[in-house]
Amino acid sequence: MDISLVSLLTKILIFGLLAMSLDLVFGYVGLWSFAHAALFGVSAYAAAIFVIHYHITSFWIVLPGGMFVAGIVAGIFGFIALRVSAIYFLLITLALGQLVFGIVTTFRRLTGGSNGLAGIQYPDLTFPFLPAALSSTGFYYLTLIIFVVCAFVLYTLLNSPFGYSLRGIRENESRMRGLGYNTWLIKFTAFIVSGLFAGVAGVLYVHFNGIIAPGDVGVMASGAVMLMVIIGGAGTLWGALIGSVVILSLQHFIGLIIPERWPLVMGICFALVVICLRGGIFPYLHILWRKVSSCES
Amino acid sequence: MDVLTIALLSGISFGMVLFLIASGLSLVLGLMGIINVAHGAIFMVGGYIGVTVGNATDSFFFAVLTGAVSAGVIGLVIERGFLRNLYKKELDQILVTFAFVYIMTNITLWIWGPWPKNITVPSMLTSSVPIGSFRFPIHRFLVIFVGGIVCVCLWWLQEKTKIGAIVRAGMDDAQMVSVLGLNLTPITIGLFVLGSSLAGFASVIAMPMMGGVNTELGTSIIFTAIAVVIVGGIGSVQGTLAGALLIGVVYNLAATYFPPIAKFTAYIAMILILLFRPSGLLGRELQRQF
Repeated sequence: MDISLVSLLTKILIFGLLAMSLDLVFGYVGLWSFAHAALFGVSAYAAAIFVIHYHITSFWIVLPGGMFVAGIVAGIFGFIALRVSAIYFLLITLALGQLVFGIVTTFRRLTGGSNGLAGIQYPDLTFPFLPAALSSTGFYYLTLIIFVVCAFVLYTLLNSPFGYSLRGIRENESRMRGLGYNTWLIKFTAFIVSGLFAGVAGVLYVHFNGIIAPGDVGVMASGAVMLMVIIGGAGTLWGALIGSVVILSLQHFIGLIIPERWPLVMGICFALVVICLRGGIFPYLHILWRKVSSCES
Repeated sequence: MDVLTIALLSGISFGMVLFLIASGLSLVLGLMGIINVAHGAIFMVGGYIGVTVGNATDSFFFAVLTGAVSAGVIGLVIERGFLRNLYKKELDQILVTFAFVYIMTNITLWIWGPWPKNITVPSMLTSSVPIGSFRFPIHRFLVIFVGGIVCVCLWWLQEKTKIGAIVRAGMDDAQMVSVLGLNLTPITIGLFVLGSSLAGFASVIAMPMMGGVNTELGTSIIFTAIAVVIVGGIGSVQGTLAGALLIGVVYNLAATYFPPIAKFTAYIAMILILLFRPSGLLGRELQRQF
């Protein structure tokens, strides 16, 4: 397979996973989080620090490590942010995201400052029958397997009673509380779970990209992830993947012609989607699918 | 002692710049319920246009004027062109302004290139005043002075004019205002344009002090401005002033005595306020359900 195509597909899966994790809190619970790039980022930085500063390259340590860090940070963020609602939640996650951005730029010795950390190779799988060193195609398959597992877990979670309670909170939180649900705990748990999956994406990303820098961590990066969720369709889980496909493919093709204008194109897409295509692409596909299947019968 | 004085004066002058930027943001948030994330980008573009005019005409006055007016025009375009279509959908409006940050930053990069630009200042403003064994730029006193005048004017507008009364009423209960037969729309548009113009104005007037304009400004200054609005309190001029001066001074003191935490002071203040006193230091108790 053409290497740039493999690269694009891997990237789509990684950001698809990140977007799905955001969809969990944004689409299903209705929390506007602008901190997800920060969660993704701390996991990526943690992985990079493991590899570069402590020379731990075993994937089976780095992955849980990254997830753990992301989970902890998500817990802290959630604890702070869930005290307030809607617009204030958005603002707090914004502040927290920028705080992380500031932290990674400041502590140069640990995080490489504005330059970030570089030189991370494909992960070391250290398992009997697995290849010792991965090629980019090999890494793609690894990412694919991890993505499928995570997507399966998320899908199961979202269609469980817990998942339905999330939707209940989105629709009418006071009624849920009236029914006896501990909505704070549910939201908090959802936020941490979301952080764990963002963490997985972060670890995969740092291995894929070889470098992690502050730009991947700030609010503008969170905005890009939110765009993916919205374009694909919030609250549909697969919409997040579709969003990732659309945005990253677009970015890839624009990058071939006029890479410097990509943020402009992305901004225009963003504005158009918000104004015209509010439900995202997935609901349209869903309707199309229904029409097609009912035609046949 | 001199170091402290310099730090405080620098903090107050920086606070004034923040006030000028944040006041527009705060009033729009109070009345319309939307956070114009593109406000920082408007600040940036106003500055770039001001610089171009200023360096072409060698007139600082014209630079400030065109900076303010062009920023106001951009604000008008965003409000009438895009935000109007999302009436009552506040979170969508925020997303659209977010999109505009990407758009405006990239267009600025396209037109003016990646290198920072600075304005040539009239010679009377480049001198400095001795304070102890240091020298403090006259220009910063100008910023404090101008900021103070704008503050007084805005306060007067808010407290002593009929329009101000309508704005305050609109923040409390917009529905009641329209029931009383007052049309809030031209006022909200006017407020949005005024806020944007102030941002453009601030950009040029403070440019020598801020070290010029660059393409990062669209995304860097907005978060500090949002922190100012939250800390000071939404919707009131005095609140924004309080928040701006507080953050400006604390930032400068931190930069002088504890540099590593300077960057974080605004965000930490914002998080603390949101947790313990969400309406801000001097904010209005908003009836609006967020």
